[in-house]
Amino acid sequence: MLTSSFVCPATVSRPSKVSKMPLYVLRVCMEHATFRIPSLLSVAQLYGFSIKFISEDADRGIVVIELDDDEDVDKLLERGTLILPAGEKLPPDPYAKPSSDLRLTMLSTASRLLAQADSYDQLHAYLHEHPEGLRPYLDKNFKFFVEGINHRIPSSRQRKSIDAFEQHGYTGKAAMKDPEVEFIIYEEYDLNEAHSHEKSHRLERDGQFRQVYFCVKMGESRARPLIQAHSVKTRSYYGNTSMEAEMGFLMAGQALPAPGKIVYDPFAGTGSMLYSCAHWGATVLGSDIDGRQMRGKGQGKGYVPGVYRAADQYGVRDRVLDCMTFDITRGPWRRGGWLDAVVTDPPYYRPPSRPYELVNLTRDLVLFARWILVPGGRLVFFLPTVSEDYDAVDVPVVEGMRELKWGEGSVQDFGKWGRRLITMEKTADDDGARPSFDDSEAVEVDSGAKIPGHFQFRERYHEKFTPRLQPSSSAASPGPET
Amino acid sequence: MVRLITHNMLACHVKNCTKDNFPLVFSEVELVIRESEANYDFLRRFMPKLDWPALVDTARSLGDETLPDDQPEEWTDEQLQALHHVLMEMHVEEGNMTCRGCGHVYPISNGIPNMLLAEHEVGR
Repeated sequence: MLTSSFVCPATVSRPSKVSKMPLYVLRVCMEHATFRIPSLLSVAQLYGFSIKFISEDADRGIVVIELDDDEDVDKLLERGTLILPAGEKLPPDPYAKPSSDLRLTMLSTASRLLAQADSYDQLHAYLHEHPEGLRPYLDKNFKFFVEGINHRIPSSRQRKSIDAFEQHGYTGKAAMKDPEVEFIIYEEYDLNEAHSHEKSHRLERDGQFRQVYFCVKMGESRARPLIQAHSVKTRSYYGNTSMEAEMGFLMAGQALPAPGKIVYDPFAGTGSMLYSCAHWGATVLGSDIDGRQMRGKGQGKGYVPGVYRAADQYGVRDRVLDCMTFDITRGPWRRGGWLDAVVTDPPYYRPPSRPYELVNLTRDLVLFARWILVPGGRLVFFLPTVSEDYDAVDVPVVEGMRELKWGEGSVQDFGKWGRRLITMEKTADDDGARPSFDDSEAVEVDSGAKIPGHFQFRERYHEKFTPRLQPSSSAASPGPET
Repeated sequence: MVRLITHNMLACHVKNCTKDNFPLVFSEVELVIRESEANYDFLRRFMPKLDWPALVDTARSLGDETLPDDQPEEWTDEQLQALHHVLMEMHVEEGNMTCRGCGHVYPISNGIPNMLLAEHEVGR
């Protein structure tokens, strides 16, 4: 569909003037920076619009985007369930419904950009030259919010910054409670100096920001609070393999979950992925070779398995279609071509039914997705990898599946190892052959070849990732256990 | 809670069992009906994936006679509601699913079917 959305107009940066198209400022958290762009693109793809990135530096707390197709915005508005920061189009009353349901857990606030500049002098000059941007808001009761990004602005100067806006002829009243419009001033500082908290240093660098942004707030992310609401700590059922809520939602977002879609986790464990996908409306299916993971300790008639208790807690029990005990490599699925997404965190931490080299597991997972997904369906999975060995070729290349990758990819870095979030899309129109999962091919590793970063991951994890020598014959042929 | 939509996608996967391995036959069933909101778009989209005769037979084996022998080409809201009920609201909480081909029994308890094959259970 919107495959072109993965082609980035990357070189655009720091426009000196606000362009004609509405620009939006997204205040994003600094963590998981490599997940940002893919998450935004997934939202765009789900709802069928395109995003242009005006600024997307990984180390910035702000992303400026342009939504350039009015008709797509209209489509969004028509579809109803989605509530993106689309208040921009059809301007009559942009603050009537100041909400954004950007499904981005890393996003805190979305706002419309009125002006940005290198200094306050330039900012105010721009607003005088282009009064039309601010004009509709001047008679509204207002509130100002000033935030330094990578920097804490002394309250006295915050006050001063706000007062300077009087020159634009406000007639509305300041209203701390229930304002009709909220203005946000972001002063954005360089990150590399941010770690100094000494007061003298802070005062010295105060005002030495890189950019100042003046915006009208459109809404706060409703996805961000999910991290708290779905915290494993307060979950009624969880296990030692449960995924932390933030990563679970980041991962779920890549699967484009929505009402009417079916998302499947073949290594469901305690069900972490099911809850986040179901929260965004998808119907979910889970299976695991270890039924105790899904059930919990109890048994007997009337016992409610753990996954259903947690699903109840999150109000999504009816969206859990079923949970089943079986080994996906010996799975009972009758046919392919019916799932919208496969989302999973493959079990590198516990042994599956038989010795199964992760390289093979990964390849088989992609083959399985190729078979069982609908055309355009997505496979989203974590690939644990030893950082220094990782190379892009490690993601299995399978006909009919392609990787959707942004830059160097999304990686959660734990130092000596990391895990990469891989998003793939089924490009084939047919179901193709049912995968055999026979695990019969030895992984071919000769001394000259690149060894995939997840090769023998489990062993290396337990060896604490001591540097790997050239593969000897014993280390390099995991072959079939016969 | 094995739902009939899930059941319709499951076949016996015992090695070399390829004849009459679908649909699995329910027995000793404890059935629970849980009402839910129908999503007709979802149903329409899923219809082509269904094995209709298997669905009708299975629904009837559980006492629901509302589905017609032949899959309708044009669906009335009433028929869609009946399909929703059969696919999504009928939950088999306890019981067995048996393969007509090889006789393998897959037990369901607390709504979770155990479809691990015996050789693997032994192997663990």
